[in-house]
Amino acid sequence: MTGAILFADIDEPGLATLDVYRRRGGYGPRLLKALQMPREALVEELKASGLRGRGGAGFSMGTKASFMPKGQIDKYLVCNADESEPGTFKDRELMQKSPHMLLEGMIIAAYAAGANRSFIYIRGEYAQQAVIVERAIAEAKAAGLIGERILGTDFSLELWLHRGAGAYICGEETGLLDSLEGKRGNPRLKPPFPANQGLYQGPTLINHVETLATIPHIVEMGAQEYAAIGVQNSTGTKLVSISGHVRRPGNYEIELGTPARELIYGLAGGPGEGRTVKLWFPGGSSSPVLTGDDLDVSYDFDSLAKAGTMLGSGAIIVADDTTSVVDVALKTAQFYKHESCGKCTPCREGTNWTVKMLERVKSGEATPMDLDIMASVCENIIGHCLCVLGDAMAMPVGSMIKKFRGEFEAYIEQARAANPWGSGHAPVEALEAQGALA
Amino acid sequence: MPRPEPSFITFSIDGREVQAPENTMLVDAAKLGDVEIPVFCYEPKIGAPVGACRMCLVEIEGIPKLQTGCSTPVKDGMVVHTQTDRVKAAQESVVEFLLINHPLDCPVCDKGGECPLQDISFGWGGGRSRFIEPKRHFQKPLNLSPLIAIDRERCIMCYRCVRFSQEVAEDYQLVLHDRGAATYVGTFDGHPYVAPFSGNIIELCPVGALTSQPYRFRARPWDIEGAGSVCTLCPAQCNVTFTVRDERVLRVLARENGEVDDGWLCDKGRFAYQAVHVDDRIVRPLLRDGGELRPVSWERALDEAAAALRRAGARTGALAGGETTNEEGFLLQRLLREALGSEHLDSAGGLPPAALHALARPDLQATVADLEWAHTVLVLGTEPVDDMPIVDLRIRKGVRRHRANLAVATPRPSSLDPNASLSVRYAPGGEAAFVAALAAALFGGELDGPARDAGADPDGVRALAELLRTGGEDVVVLYGAQLLGAGPSVAPALLKIAGALNVAGRAGAGLLAVPGGTNGRGLAEAGVLPGMGPGYAPVAGGGVARGTEEIAAGLAAGELTALYLLHCDPVRALPRRARWQRALDKATTVVAHAQFLTEGLAEHATVVFPAESYAEKEGTLTHPDGRLQRLRQAIGRQGDAAPEWWVLAELAKRLGHDLGILTGPMASAQLFAAVPFYAGLSLDAIGPQGVRWADAGDGAGAAAFPAPAELPAGGEPPAAAAPNGALRLGTFRSIWAAPEVERSPALKFLHPRQRVEMAPDDAARLGLAHGDKVAVGADGASVHAVVALRNASPAGSVFLEDGIPADAANLLDGPLVDIRKA
Repeated sequence: MTGAILFADIDEPGLATLDVYRRRGGYGPRLLKALQMPREALVEELKASGLRGRGGAGFSMGTKASFMPKGQIDKYLVCNADESEPGTFKDRELMQKSPHMLLEGMIIAAYAAGANRSFIYIRGEYAQQAVIVERAIAEAKAAGLIGERILGTDFSLELWLHRGAGAYICGEETGLLDSLEGKRGNPRLKPPFPANQGLYQGPTLINHVETLATIPHIVEMGAQEYAAIGVQNSTGTKLVSISGHVRRPGNYEIELGTPARELIYGLAGGPGEGRTVKLWFPGGSSSPVLTGDDLDVSYDFDSLAKAGTMLGSGAIIVADDTTSVVDVALKTAQFYKHESCGKCTPCREGTNWTVKMLERVKSGEATPMDLDIMASVCENIIGHCLCVLGDAMAMPVGSMIKKFRGEFEAYIEQARAANPWGSGHAPVEALEAQGALA
Repeated sequence: MPRPEPSFITFSIDGREVQAPENTMLVDAAKLGDVEIPVFCYEPKIGAPVGACRMCLVEIEGIPKLQTGCSTPVKDGMVVHTQTDRVKAAQESVVEFLLINHPLDCPVCDKGGECPLQDISFGWGGGRSRFIEPKRHFQKPLNLSPLIAIDRERCIMCYRCVRFSQEVAEDYQLVLHDRGAATYVGTFDGHPYVAPFSGNIIELCPVGALTSQPYRFRARPWDIEGAGSVCTLCPAQCNVTFTVRDERVLRVLARENGEVDDGWLCDKGRFAYQAVHVDDRIVRPLLRDGGELRPVSWERALDEAAAALRRAGARTGALAGGETTNEEGFLLQRLLREALGSEHLDSAGGLPPAALHALARPDLQATVADLEWAHTVLVLGTEPVDDMPIVDLRIRKGVRRHRANLAVATPRPSSLDPNASLSVRYAPGGEAAFVAALAAALFGGELDGPARDAGADPDGVRALAELLRTGGEDVVVLYGAQLLGAGPSVAPALLKIAGALNVAGRAGAGLLAVPGGTNGRGLAEAGVLPGMGPGYAPVAGGGVARGTEEIAAGLAAGELTALYLLHCDPVRALPRRARWQRALDKATTVVAHAQFLTEGLAEHATVVFPAESYAEKEGTLTHPDGRLQRLRQAIGRQGDAAPEWWVLAELAKRLGHDLGILTGPMASAQLFAAVPFYAGLSLDAIGPQGVRWADAGDGAGAAAFPAPAELPAGGEPPAAAAPNGALRLGTFRSIWAAPEVERSPALKFLHPRQRVEMAPDDAARLGLAHGDKVAVGADGASVHAVVALRNASPAGSVFLEDGIPADAANLLDGPLVDIRKA
């Protein structure tokens, strides 16, 4: 597409190598320019660009960098590459095809934060990408781009890649820090925020792959020009991963503020012949769902928030009219139940309880009253947890119950009729075999 | 390290204006306004709040989301609500969540009736559950250890126990396994959780998930009474509450005293109460008759003992063990000095009385709490976890929370080594030379010679001096009092070190001794020292005053004929067992107060009076930092046991001397009157938390302390023996080497068997492997032991366990030993 920034050269063969990346302008004058800027000016530039964190929370990247305390203490930059949100796979492509862009962004961000040590925490399942990034790090080190006195400036940076062991919670920034320190990956209480007390108790700037990879481009274009892309409060471009019932699933770089219909139907080709969009997750499986009626919403942070959902990680998951909302709810809840770390009560017990109730809906042992309980359990989770994992289940499941209550009730009736004895007596599988549930 | 001075702020809670120290967590600040915010996971003793249970959610004006009161520091002008519908709904929902998987088997749960989950469910819960699914099931109860049962169904995942293991005891054994709703508590390797402080997790558990194996199903809360007292099993003198049912002690709980124990107990203190009620306790007076000890009446025992003592007269020696109270010690020295005219008594195992006096100076005294706040702590010649266990936790806390510098100087590898900025080793027998080398290093003197004599690395000593000098002004030296036995030069050198570190008169800095016995300090102050009466007063009249060593020699030589043993079996407790065997063999009369017939008494005692256990006793003890603490009687005496003060008074009466004691408190009053720096104290003034005599009466106690005489320099310190192919013998006494541990059914499994700790290189040279059975010998004597290889063990030295009945280290005199395969 036109106007692509991160993905402008993404399909260039060999972009993952230092040579090709350099030929395409990587580690060029923009890097030296950034490292020669006064730190404060660089942070101001990032602030002025309006770049918001691409990991989910959408917090201003420059403002976060400005929270880093001054002074000669050990500070850290951590790149969150634990891309685990269901439906999200853009960082994988970015790291696989253009790892140097991330490294260049990290060098600049580390300089802005005054950090001399940096880490990439990559999810364990990204084995191939880890190898590619490791190779890129080795190349950059050999070329003097990472290490002592980069490009002859006073700035030095060490960088390590660390592979996770397969836990969604380690994508939560403080859980990630605990895991990186070698502990059980449980979220920490905030405050203190990582900018004050992060990795090894030191001030830590922690950012997402896509956010960091955008930084070299902001330096090159200048904050003004970058901020001109997109809409107010949602500047720049965004990588979106579109999946589910669409004809052309994949990663697309879009300008923020593009109508959702254009993304789902225009870029991804919409659902198959004769089908319509029933519901869609605009920002990963933890965002409250929207329906086919909401397709004209502008795809940017504020418009989606106004629509009662969120842009999240930019992963659009589409479900067409052949999908049962009960299945979607159960699958979603099961995922979060499985990934809950168990530290705080509402999330640990609430996700577990919700799954049990949804399973009863499936097996025909629920009543419409259970929908009220489920909605209330979701309400009791939201805002009461230590981190947002609990909310990440309660928000989408709660939104489904609210928006598709009629379908839930119909399902309950149908399943009860098909299984009047409950699961203890007549197995659902047997009824399914008889076609009783059809 | 200066302790933070709280500045007070005003905040509003539920419409009430409350003053609270700034940055107190809201749940604590709320209490100042009589508002209770319920908590499960919050326990400031363990460390920083974790905000896991979410029970303490409250509303703070200006913050949109509900906040956890346990982790929100209170600020000036904060407006907090705990009674709004929003807060109530949130708290109700957390209770509902916690109870969905909780079995609600309260009627058969030990915690029922004293359970925070019950209380909070009643107080803040909605009263009913909407959860109809099957609950989570685990196999239960399982043995987390022989002492602790775990019921995982009851667990609410506050993970206080895990945090205790990781952040307080630092044994790193407990972890959370699995995740989400399937999370459960267990040990990292699946082995039992056996550690010196494991029992604390029972008390920390806010539900019935962790219960005490010995207490399980013994009583319900309405059957029991709590009785506050002090544990006398080691010098730490932790404050305890005995749980009593029908005149039996069923449980020991911590009774938090920040100046003493910080609210923790070791497992010996927590479980050894069982020894109070075992069958082999002596509960009737015993008299040796025809070579055998037989039960007799009190009258007969007292008459026989008095007659024998009258015959011995001034040729009587007396030893008081560490569990002796101040009052008992005081009366013992009156009996010896006034009724028998003997000056041969000791409670310090032969340590020089003048040195004890000089080091007891109040201006040099550090407190237990100082260990936590010091800039630098030096652990010198003691292993806290064995010798004064609870202090080990205090030192760890200082290092962890206040970044104190820790230095360890010991012959044997210490469990504190991993926390120490610096660990220095010296050879067993090199104690005096090491202290001399350190003093020299602090004064910039020649230290290479003494360091080599000590078997220590001179650079290590130099680095240690540097750390002590530059680590910060507040330095606390925790030293094993046994060091003073290494030679007359030790105490002057310690005083020099104190001088160099400028600790005299400095709050938060000073020396703290770990005495050999529980009440070592109190007994010295009560006058149970040769030649020194109550209050370290020199005893007039001259003549020879024999200490421990000389009493043994005197008995063996026939110069003394009787020995009075108050809670002391020298064969078990003192070095050089063979010599004590000979001494007791020769003694005509051995009168003992004892709870158990330990080996020396069984063989040699002529009269044994049944002694009270610590749960039956009243009186006072003096903590190593000078804090007088009160023992209160919790249960009736077992069998015919009688109070020691009464026995001592009765004996004196039969010897024609009335001590003027009719009750226990009268003995206390006499003691307070006799020790100048105890003047003004009373049992009421001591109260439940104790009083440091140096602080009593606005410093009147300290002012009344008699100035010690200048100590002579003490000459050249002895050097550690050169191994020359043999191995140096060092000894240590494990926390579990106690008659109470040996006899408590639940703790018995921890009672040590002899093992010889050695460096792998030495073992390789001797062709020995870990676990080999060997004979360790010196001068014809030998003990059997199992080889335990320790990588950190210094080459050239081996370490044997002391204080155990069989194969004890005190069978060998050292200083060198040979090891052969057995």
